[in-house]
Amino acid sequence: MSEAEVTPTPTLHLSSGPHIASGRTTAQIMWMVNLALLPALLWAWAVFGWVVLAITLSSILGCVVAEYAVCRIAKNVSTLPDGSAVCSGLLLAYTLPPGIPIWMPFIGGMLALIFTKGIFGGLGYNIFNVALVGRAMMMATFPVEMTTRWLTPAFGNVDAVSAATVLAQIKLGGQEALAKILAAVPDGGQLWFDFFLGMRAGSIGEVSVVMILLGAAFLLWKGIIKLYIPLSILVGVALMAPFSPAPEIYMLGGGIWLGAFFMATDYVTSPTMPRGQIIFGLGIGLLTGIIRNWGGYPEGICYAIMLMNILTPALNDWFRPKRLTADGAPS
Amino acid sequence: MSLLSWSKSALPTFSRGGIHPDEHKELTENLPIEDFIPTSVSLPVSQSLGPSAEPLVVKAAKVKRGDVIATVPGGGVSLHAPVSGIIKNVQTGPHASLVYDTVITIQAKPGEDDPQFPEQAGWQALPVAQMLERIRDAGVVGLGGAAFPTYRKLTLPKDAKVDTLVINGSECEPYLTCDYRLMLEESEKVVLGSWLISKIIGVKNCVIGVEDNKQPAAEKMRQTIAELGLDKMDPPVKMTVVVTQTRYPQGSEKQLVQSLTGRLVPKGGLPMHVGIVVQNVATAIACLEAIRNGKPVLERVLTVSGLGIKTPKNLRVPIGTSVEDLLAYCGGYSGEVVKILLGGPMMGRTIADLGVSVTKGSSGLLFLTAAETSITRYQPCISCGECIDACPMGLEPNRVSQYMEAGRPLETEQFGIRECFECGCCSWSCPSHRPLVQFMQVAKAAYRRHERKAK
Repeated sequence: MSEAEVTPTPTLHLSSGPHIASGRTTAQIMWMVNLALLPALLWAWAVFGWVVLAITLSSILGCVVAEYAVCRIAKNVSTLPDGSAVCSGLLLAYTLPPGIPIWMPFIGGMLALIFTKGIFGGLGYNIFNVALVGRAMMMATFPVEMTTRWLTPAFGNVDAVSAATVLAQIKLGGQEALAKILAAVPDGGQLWFDFFLGMRAGSIGEVSVVMILLGAAFLLWKGIIKLYIPLSILVGVALMAPFSPAPEIYMLGGGIWLGAFFMATDYVTSPTMPRGQIIFGLGIGLLTGIIRNWGGYPEGICYAIMLMNILTPALNDWFRPKRLTADGAPS
Repeated sequence: MSLLSWSKSALPTFSRGGIHPDEHKELTENLPIEDFIPTSVSLPVSQSLGPSAEPLVVKAAKVKRGDVIATVPGGGVSLHAPVSGIIKNVQTGPHASLVYDTVITIQAKPGEDDPQFPEQAGWQALPVAQMLERIRDAGVVGLGGAAFPTYRKLTLPKDAKVDTLVINGSECEPYLTCDYRLMLEESEKVVLGSWLISKIIGVKNCVIGVEDNKQPAAEKMRQTIAELGLDKMDPPVKMTVVVTQTRYPQGSEKQLVQSLTGRLVPKGGLPMHVGIVVQNVATAIACLEAIRNGKPVLERVLTVSGLGIKTPKNLRVPIGTSVEDLLAYCGGYSGEVVKILLGGPMMGRTIADLGVSVTKGSSGLLFLTAAETSITRYQPCISCGECIDACPMGLEPNRVSQYMEAGRPLETEQFGIRECFECGCCSWSCPSHRPLVQFMQVAKAAYRRHERKAK
């Protein structure tokens, strides 16, 4: 009795249950996504040089500065430590051509953060993927820099000194352009292999499918993403492949893989239930194919994801979890 | 690894959601039940669901162990003096869930002529109506935590078709080991109590559900069933022990019924509607003692645990033992305690006053340090869907929370708040630490207010 009396009564917290937690936090998830994005950046550094790191930093800085400002102005607790602004900055940089002037990503990052996330209420309240809105805004603001500043990879067979990516060349030149590209590949070289590995011109984070898959595998292992969305996007894109003049380049080129594993899987802007996620993914895949084959852009995944982002609230209403009741019907 | 996952999936469990928190049962699982009798006990008159009892005693009155000291006017669950002594006080005092209640305090003065409640002859052959009466008069309520009056649960409507009794030995809450110890140490009482309940509700089939992490208890129960020869008693009952997956909330009625029998309780219904009655192991013992010994619920076994208490224990204590006395008996605080709970860490209630005492429904007393519990500011919902995956009922806690934040509580019914039994799997899983259970509770309260106003 006496022992307990000497110990002062602690300050007791009162709350509703439960009083224990899994230990996983939003910040952990975001930083793990950031970590998973690093292999792709490493690859970009290897093939395009130091400049990609500068661009990435500039984009991250834009997002971080804007996030800090928004939190200050809204008098909210700073959400910088949760890593989501850094994540948006990384993803935006990954969609940019490696030759873009270094100050542009900073502007793009700020605009994306403020107009997509900040004014909608911050983390969790954005309707569109932050990085993709940033890219779309930059496409409108800096159309020349966004479509012509490509760099030639340090190694590989694809000659991309010209001002366009392979997908853009095919878009403009059709079969003729394709034949020219294929002719440039030395005997024994496999174009699809160069694309898979990432020896081609393209946006910073999209060029290496292998590196993207490496990061994605990490996220799958950690249970952060599930396969419903990425797989159904790839299926949707594949369904449209026969309409492309070069199906293998169509599947491996552009931002499909980055978009499928890292953009479309963003929790906030994608549906929560598996069936909703499959419709969401298929929609993205099909729209990407439609834009690429019949639309005005060589690329399509960015706008396809944004279009399906619009449908996310509806998909969450249409596809609900099954209740554990005798009939299983949602009430 | 493959063998492990195979054997895991081979064990029965419920079909949806659920979690597996750190068990922390190692703190107390090997500690035999100890008796502890404090010098005074304080009994809040509200011990179970339903209308509260009213005190029948006044200050300075003498009571004997087992005397009725409070009762519900018009019939209901009574409260008994757990110790002989003198009524020190009948006044307003702290209550674990109601905050304040009328509390009867008894200064213990054990005497040599205190009733010991020996076994009475012919108890097996009592008519069912008399057995139910004894259960009611003994003040038996669900000792698993819900504290629903047992005689009411066992008094089935005429048209009810019940064929199976499920005995709940899941004890799925982390830390708690009191039911485990009861199954190990008093398996005979559990089995005989289960047999009596089977007789009362007229079933020939009884299934005892025990989680995989309590194999020794399952073994012991099987052994006792074989030794007692339940199939040769009158009436014979086929009693089986089923080991289920260790998965929270395995001990929830609807989940356990599905795990053990595959039957799904209809929405808004009870296990009774699919032919099943569920009783907890400690309640089975209380029923046996009520019928065989005429002994009321005077004490209960609970687990005192957590990293914040010096010597964790499994204790049998009189109802009304204060947290303060238990704290002192278990050696006082260890480390920096930030939360004290009555019940388990998933569904237990925090207390603010060490004067709060053990009620019939208190299965645990936990002293949690900052390292074990989560006290953090919560963040916006990022729609990760973890809560939906974890919900054993298939509800949408994320959307309830969003509607609550938007100030639209009366639009949350569509997301299933009425089916929520507040197990806490959603909040446990939430990476944004959102108090999803609390949002559910506030939403339910808003509907209750709204419905009262409409009347």
